[in-house]
Amino acid sequence: MTTEASQHPLELTNDFAPGESNFIKVDNFKFFYGKKEALHGINLEIPSRKVTAFIGPSGCGKSTLLRNFNRMNELIPGVHHEGDITIHGTSIYDPSVEIIALRRRIGMVFQKSNPFPMSIFENIVYPLRIAGQNTRSVLEETVERCLRSAALWDEVKDRLHDSALGLSGGQMQRLCIARAVASRPEILLMDEPCSALDPIATAKVEELIIELKKDFTIVIVTHNMQQASRVSELTAFFYLGNLVEFDNTRKIFTNPSMKQTEEYITGRFG
Amino acid sequence: MHKEPSKVHTISIFTTALDQLRSSVLKMSSLAQLNLKNSIKGLLERDDDWCNNSIADDEEIDLLEMQIDHEGIEVMSRFQPVASDLREVISSIKIGANIERVADQAVNIARRARKLNEHPQLPELHLLDRPIRLALTMFDDAVRSFAERNATLAVELKSRDKELDQLNRELTDVLINRMQDDSANLPSYLNLIFISRCLERIGDHACNIAEDIVFAVSAQDIRHPSKQQ
Repeated sequence: MTTEASQHPLELTNDFAPGESNFIKVDNFKFFYGKKEALHGINLEIPSRKVTAFIGPSGCGKSTLLRNFNRMNELIPGVHHEGDITIHGTSIYDPSVEIIALRRRIGMVFQKSNPFPMSIFENIVYPLRIAGQNTRSVLEETVERCLRSAALWDEVKDRLHDSALGLSGGQMQRLCIARAVASRPEILLMDEPCSALDPIATAKVEELIIELKKDFTIVIVTHNMQQASRVSELTAFFYLGNLVEFDNTRKIFTNPSMKQTEEYITGRFG
Repeated sequence: MHKEPSKVHTISIFTTALDQLRSSVLKMSSLAQLNLKNSIKGLLERDDDWCNNSIADDEEIDLLEMQIDHEGIEVMSRFQPVASDLREVISSIKIGANIERVADQAVNIARRARKLNEHPQLPELHLLDRPIRLALTMFDDAVRSFAERNATLAVELKSRDKELDQLNRELTDVLINRMQDDSANLPSYLNLIFISRCLERIGDHACNIAEDIVFAVSAQDIRHPSKQQ
């Protein structure tokens, strides 16, 4: 393993290896769109309060797996799965698990920012309002906390009641992140959160991801391998519905174990 | 331990840029090999022309060192290489610096040889035969390891360097003793000691090159093994 002298700035003081402090556990998980098997028996253990990146070419199954963590895929007709996904040892498919409650524990940020057509303030407090929370002081405290978490407070504090649709693309995406953390989830799923942003907005979101991992377990799907290497501690490489390699990000980007990973990250694919 | 990337990059200009960098390192090493051999020829055949050639051709090697740095930086800035590509670029830049120092040692040998050639030949000149052979072979093998991406051959160079170090120490002791008995030829004995030292340094640079090749090929850092966990 690595020495302290060569510590990657994003890594914790102690070396981390996959398998420690497991939080999300994917156990021989298969997923089907109708008859098509999109994921072929994935086994994966994601630790808490770390950033884990999913990389791989289009159609490899990385987003499909991500969207299973909060059972989003069940909105698609004809899908089914085999195997299991557990969070803190409890299956997300356990009959006692309520999907709404599960999604409250798992925030999600999408490729395209999707602020609601309402004010910045109302966007943030929306998850609280639908949970029945309408106390003004609680809502105001939440708005400030979430906007500060998303590094957006200073930019919008004087126009909280303006429409969210008037924000820039990067601000809208950070607003969506702020909204995603409003219900205090444990996990934050990000599906290519920067692919529609310019480099400066991307840098701000990346800075935010690094900051948010203190409080959240983050799983990010990205096609930008430099982004994966910058923000994540662990990287999983998927190909054709299989998990090819899962390891420390530094290992993946300096000396991957699998030839397919090496070929993909060095651009020798296809 | 041979490891050759199996496919070309999807972006062909990335492959071209890496090939260009590799080709510059190979060109620079061929020139350094030639310069070193010219210096040794000038020394053993007592011919200043060979020495002068070696000194004059060093400039091209210096320029190639800078070219390799620029090409390496360009690959990093344009293509952001990772994994084996990143190791190859980093190693190429470091290998370029070591080749340049080998060429500098060739120049040092040529300059000392010219001074020796001003005086009658000392019989002790042939004490340098073994270290010369060893240093030349070590550098040739370092270049071959790079050309073939042969980490096994590179690792083996480390043990030969110890032999060269020992030869240098023994030779220095012998020549210091001769100085005391034959003080009239003291400057020439000193030049032989300096040349022995240059050969020993060439062995060190060959070893450094070998370490970089092992890193490029297998991602292992074999430097300073006692200091690694």
